[in-house]
Amino acid sequence: MNGSFVALVGALIARPDIGPVLIIGAQSLVSLVLVLVLYAFARGLRLGSDVRIADAAHAAQMAAAAVSGFVAHETVLDRARIGALVRDRAGRVLLIRRHGARFVGRELTSHAGIRLDRHTLTLETGDRRSGTLTLDLGPQAQIWAASLRRLDGQGIAA
Amino acid sequence: MTADMLADFAHRAANTGFDIVPLAVPLFVLAIVAEMVWAARHTPAAYEPGDTLTSLLMGLGSTVIGALVVGLIALVAAWLYAHRFATVPPMWWAWIAVFVLDDFNYYLFHRAAHRVRWFWASHVNHHTSQHYNLSTALRQTWTGFPAFSFAFRIWPALFGVAPGMLLTVGAINLVYQFWVHTEAIVRMPRWIEAVMNTPSHHRVHHATNPRYLDRNYAGVFIVWDRLLGTFQAERADDPVRYGVVHQLGTFSLWTVAFHEWLAIIRDVWRAPLSAKLGYLWRQPGWTHDGSRDTSDTIRARWLAMQDEA
Repeated sequence: MNGSFVALVGALIARPDIGPVLIIGAQSLVSLVLVLVLYAFARGLRLGSDVRIADAAHAAQMAAAAVSGFVAHETVLDRARIGALVRDRAGRVLLIRRHGARFVGRELTSHAGIRLDRHTLTLETGDRRSGTLTLDLGPQAQIWAASLRRLDGQGIAA
Repeated sequence: MTADMLADFAHRAANTGFDIVPLAVPLFVLAIVAEMVWAARHTPAAYEPGDTLTSLLMGLGSTVIGALVVGLIALVAAWLYAHRFATVPPMWWAWIAVFVLDDFNYYLFHRAAHRVRWFWASHVNHHTSQHYNLSTALRQTWTGFPAFSFAFRIWPALFGVAPGMLLTVGAINLVYQFWVHTEAIVRMPRWIEAVMNTPSHHRVHHATNPRYLDRNYAGVFIVWDRLLGTFQAERADDPVRYGVVHQLGTFSLWTVAFHEWLAIIRDVWRAPLSAKLGYLWRQPGWTHDGSRDTSDTIRARWLAMQDEA
């Protein structure tokens, strides 16, 4: 924080004739600078981590955590272990994907927006917050793409 | 400081309120820095910079909004105090009693904030981080005022508690709750764990594990949960998973602050007339057709699966 900025904020707060909104504004500016400093400090310390899915059991565990009562029956992992698809016996399919240093699970309710390209599947969950994710599933991509057709009556773009 | 000076300070605080939060902010910052250094050495995944930025900006926004509306809340409290049935003197014993009462009111508010969707919509943002660190403590609401959450804390003014006393003890309560948002402290001494809210108890509160859902609402004293049947101890065989049942999967401030309000609007709009109000006052997850889970149904399903296994 440079000296003139501090002096300006100090002067604003010290003046008795300025309104409370200006004081709140000045305090908020200082707080915003502190927030950005803490964020930069966290990045500088390299906090967070490059999390990966360890194995199918790990993916199944996360699926059970994401949806109450979900018991994994089949699982396929992305080659880089950044995502996975998990299916239960009832045919429900969950997409497990990275979010920062954690994972989140979303149920695939339709295969509209699912695209197959040789060994990769690009998926949308229908939840705008989730965005799209491309998984490299190797030869399993075609098998899962075919099975995802059962989610509804729409075809997969290839 | 002499007894007279203390008494004078207590009288002035009762009249005008003494907000300790601004004084605590430098300590908050230093504590977060210390915890980040600890995390870098022991468990770097305890923090995620994007998540931390969201939490801190939510805290900043909450402070700004709080500063803008505190005058309105003070007006309501002052009106109640002007129509009071009795007068509570600002003596030392009254300060202690008001602090305990306010903490109980916090418990009631917090329980309502998890069991009534209207209040949950305002409170849920605090639970949206999948991390649990001191920055999570600052992930505070932007919509507490329009949700009328303050009603839980100001009603004692009608019974003669000066609004300044309520502001003062409320601020101390808020500052106390900062330090319990950490994984760096495993357990406190047994007597503290028995009486006070601690990091271990509050980790349970932030958990999505079925066993832990809707437990440990305490602010300062965990005894309220123990007395009212909502206490759950943290267990080594059930490590805490943090966040909300349906994880947001985003660091967007807009989503964190408003997603549940938007969901309520959607649900009320689509619901049949007879069910519309249910989406406001029933517990989160309730639907008129039973198509979603509440914390109760999740726990019941989990218990049934435990019995089968």
